[in-house]
Amino acid sequence: MEDNVLPAEAERALAAIKQADIVIGIPSFNNARTIDHVVKACYAGLSKYFPQLRGVVINSDGGSTDDTREAVLSAKVDDHSLMLLSTPLYPLHRLSFPYHGIPGKGSAFRMVFEMARRLGASACAVVDSDLRSITPEWIDLLLRPILFAKYDFVAPYYHRHKYDGTITNSIVYPLTRTLYGAQVRQPIGGDFGVSPAVMKCYLGKDVWETDVARFGIDIWMTTVAVAEGFRVCQSFLGAKLHDAKDPGADLSAMLQQVVSSVFDLMHVYESVWQRGRGSSAVPLFGFRFDVGLDPIHVDVDRMLTQFRRGAAELGDIWDICLLPDTLSEIRKLASDSNSHRGFHIDDTLWARVVMEFSRAYRTNPILRSQLVRSLTPLYLGRVASFVIQTENLASSEVEDRIEGLCLAFERLKPYLVSLWSGERPQHTDAGETATPEPDSGGKNALEVGNV
Amino acid sequence: MSETLTLILQGVVDRLHLQATTYLPSLIAAGIVILGALVIATVARRILYRIFKGAAIDRFMRRTGLAHLIDPSGRLRATRITAEAAYWSILTVGVLAGLSVFGTDLTAHLIQSFVFLIPRLVIAGLIILAGAWLSHYLARCALVWAFNENLPYPRRLAVGVRTMVFFVAIVVASDHLNFARDVFLTAFIIFVGGFVLAVSLAVGIGASGRIKGYLGEKEKRIEDREPVRSLWHHL
Repeated sequence: MEDNVLPAEAERALAAIKQADIVIGIPSFNNARTIDHVVKACYAGLSKYFPQLRGVVINSDGGSTDDTREAVLSAKVDDHSLMLLSTPLYPLHRLSFPYHGIPGKGSAFRMVFEMARRLGASACAVVDSDLRSITPEWIDLLLRPILFAKYDFVAPYYHRHKYDGTITNSIVYPLTRTLYGAQVRQPIGGDFGVSPAVMKCYLGKDVWETDVARFGIDIWMTTVAVAEGFRVCQSFLGAKLHDAKDPGADLSAMLQQVVSSVFDLMHVYESVWQRGRGSSAVPLFGFRFDVGLDPIHVDVDRMLTQFRRGAAELGDIWDICLLPDTLSEIRKLASDSNSHRGFHIDDTLWARVVMEFSRAYRTNPILRSQLVRSLTPLYLGRVASFVIQTENLASSEVEDRIEGLCLAFERLKPYLVSLWSGERPQHTDAGETATPEPDSGGKNALEVGNV
Repeated sequence: MSETLTLILQGVVDRLHLQATTYLPSLIAAGIVILGALVIATVARRILYRIFKGAAIDRFMRRTGLAHLIDPSGRLRATRITAEAAYWSILTVGVLAGLSVFGTDLTAHLIQSFVFLIPRLVIAGLIILAGAWLSHYLARCALVWAFNENLPYPRRLAVGVRTMVFFVAIVVASDHLNFARDVFLTAFIIFVGGFVLAVSLAVGIGASGRIKGYLGEKEKRIEDREPVRSLWHHL
């Protein structure tokens, strides 16, 4: 298997380097414009925070045609005097290879993890190649909990605009928290630190020819780490600013990729999530600070128009996914609200929608793609409702609202369990009170606060 | 005169007697066979309703959407399909056996034609069923796609797709049965040709402004890098 994972030039590099303590992976595809900055930040982070360790930066490229690999190899990284860095004891290596396998971020990570394993690295971090806000501190924050506090998986924690990351806030975070009981705030953040034990676990899974290799790697890594009982923590990285993405990207395709990945993992870890109730905080490292964020303009009217249009056009498909009570409430909302001021999809109704879609996804394998894509107008309705409710709220108050949504999801977990067991559940708005389990995450000297 | 009348009536009575003695036993035997088949079919249906669960078939039908397609209420179960299929199969065999009792050329020909038709009927039925399933599936794909692409009238588009695909299935099935082959084929060609012509006219005359506006708006969105649809705001 290993022979297929690594290209011949990577094998030669491994033979030359022989051993490393830290590996940083940067997956890329046509990121020549931004990857130079990321490589410099990785180099500076390794030099400044881990000068005594052997470090390797590996760019795993998906066949870029814009000289991304050349940008990695030619990035100037010797401005140590300007950055007041320590002098590393060992030379830092910089490698760039095209990965093997099906195109996708997962395949890129697979190559990085395989090389880290073969080099005997004690910790590995992966960061996106289009980051504009990465600093050398990110490397420290992603690696130190693994190297010195025996954590296995470090998830990122970003400061984000209240209307940024709406799929995370309205679906992925509440659902994964409810399912697996760990409050990992950014489960699809994209920048992670992992221990050798987790890497070995990842590499041993037979998922590298599936959608995990294409697009579902972020949520897969987080879920596997949490569901398989690894020690998980978070690091506060400040703001996450990307290179501008394709604004014409199809929202329904994006939603399908993310939601399908979460639902697929629900199937894999059904026996795990059906046991627990409530959730516990995950230790958060790093010094929290407020940063200026790019403003985000949202068009509520357009979202509501899409929601109402969806209720009028996609009723047949929603009929497959939603139970009659839920569907009638949605239809009532769509027909009632003429002005957007009074529009509100409450937390419980939204939680039921997501849970009922997960059931439909499970029981209708052939229709999965269509079912999840038909969630788009419902999601837009929920985002519109969220924007209306939080228009005048500060970030911390918005975070409280998201916490309220998560608690609504947790209260409805018995409902989800009965949906999956094929029973016809009776929902009550009161639901069951979520009883948080004792915090199992070990606190230590590195920890500065919990969220 | 009266003798002639008596002779004619005697002839009629003789013929009736002859036919009754020839066919009545066969008719009674056929009735008994059909009645027996009816009883066996009813008993078989009851037994199957009680003992056959068919959970795997139910699961397959539910997962493929066939259950919903055949019975939109979603209450269709493998038990019912199997029991009803057994009932009608036994009854059909009983009727054919009953007809064969007469032993005439006509009944023999009738039975032979029907028996030879059965495999074709089954295959045609499967073609129709597959066509119905595929038409539903593709219609749903078209509906969701058209909706998410903001195309006008997604439901009508979906109905168009479903009708077209199902029509293809009917044409194939009729071709297989050798039944009104030319009629269906001609209708299909006219239908598709008309549809393409209508779409061309609509695009060319009626909807050109709308499509121009749609494409212009899409282009503008790309140029403006509109924040609402950008990737990382959602993730």
